[in-house]
Amino acid sequence: MLDVVVFGGLELSPLVVYFPVAFLLAALTRLALHRLDWHDRIWRVAWFEVSLFVCYLALTVYLLGGR
Amino acid sequence: MTKYLRILVTVLMVVVAVFAGRWVWNDYMHSPWTRDGRIRADIVTVAPDVSGWVTNLNITNDQAVKEGDLLFSVDQQRYQAALSQSKANTENALYSWQLAKHKYERRTALLSQKAISAEDLESSRISTEIAKANYDLAVSQQTTAQLNLNRTQVRAPVSGHIINLNLRQGNYVSQGVAVFSIVRSGSFYVTGYFEEAKIPLVHLNQQAKITLLSGGKPLTGHVASIGKAIANTNTQSNSQLLPQVQQTFNWVRLSQRIPVDITLDPSNDERHLSAGMTATIHLTQ
Repeated sequence: MLDVVVFGGLELSPLVVYFPVAFLLAALTRLALHRLDWHDRIWRVAWFEVSLFVCYLALTVYLLGGR
Repeated sequence: MTKYLRILVTVLMVVVAVFAGRWVWNDYMHSPWTRDGRIRADIVTVAPDVSGWVTNLNITNDQAVKEGDLLFSVDQQRYQAALSQSKANTENALYSWQLAKHKYERRTALLSQKAISAEDLESSRISTEIAKANYDLAVSQQTTAQLNLNRTQVRAPVSGHIINLNLRQGNYVSQGVAVFSIVRSGSFYVTGYFEEAKIPLVHLNQQAKITLLSGGKPLTGHVASIGKAIANTNTQSNSQLLPQVQQTFNWVRLSQRIPVDITLDPSNDERHLSAGMTATIHLTQ
């Protein structure tokens, strides 16, 4: 559960953790799609990847936020 | 068919992302939480009721004290002398009263023998009453002198911890001027400054989860009160008490912060709390 991120006495929004985590997950998924050569099966890859990032972000907020 | 499946997968993902994004937005913007919370406590300032030098300092900084404990003493000599003077005045007034009474009683007896005029007798009666009033005045002055002498011993008004003790033995303290504070034991509470847009989501007795900046297990509490007023920095009154309203032309307005007081549940473990600590507050919806 992550309410705030404290770094050297600075209190930051937990989004500074959630965003990189979601980005990393999206990048891993993109890599996996490339390796499996499934990119051709997706229409508008950019739309798909941005949407995937948003979904991962929501999932990260839900899980790490302890909700 | 494969083409439609490709489109369907992407469109489905976009739709899910729209709902997920909306949930994240609502979670941050439309749920009752704030990172702008502070631990607070009842602070009692201690000021001597009499002026003088500090002759005896019984406390140290951050020391725990109980209600009624002797904190420090102010030089008693002046107040002791004032009390002795008051006692002498009282005695003097008492004897004056007794003398006046005696004279009045004697003159009352003389009236029956027609040896004194009615006017002299009335004058004597009034003198007795004046002497009694003087005695009452002297008694009250003695009571005040005794009170001043008692107040040279400054005692703890509440149980708690001494804060910011810069007082030293030998310092001169003045009547009514605070010299240090006491944080009352068990009086810790939390104030969250919620954006006004979130106030409709805040209710009395709503359960709160409080996370301190130092981490650890969250504290629990309940909403005790919602602030009914904050200062308006946009308006002041002039010398004729007319409102001076500042012209604003900002496109972006910041929502005001409304203080919400939260009492801590007794079930919280004995963690070290200091008034002023930073806290994040989540209220249940």
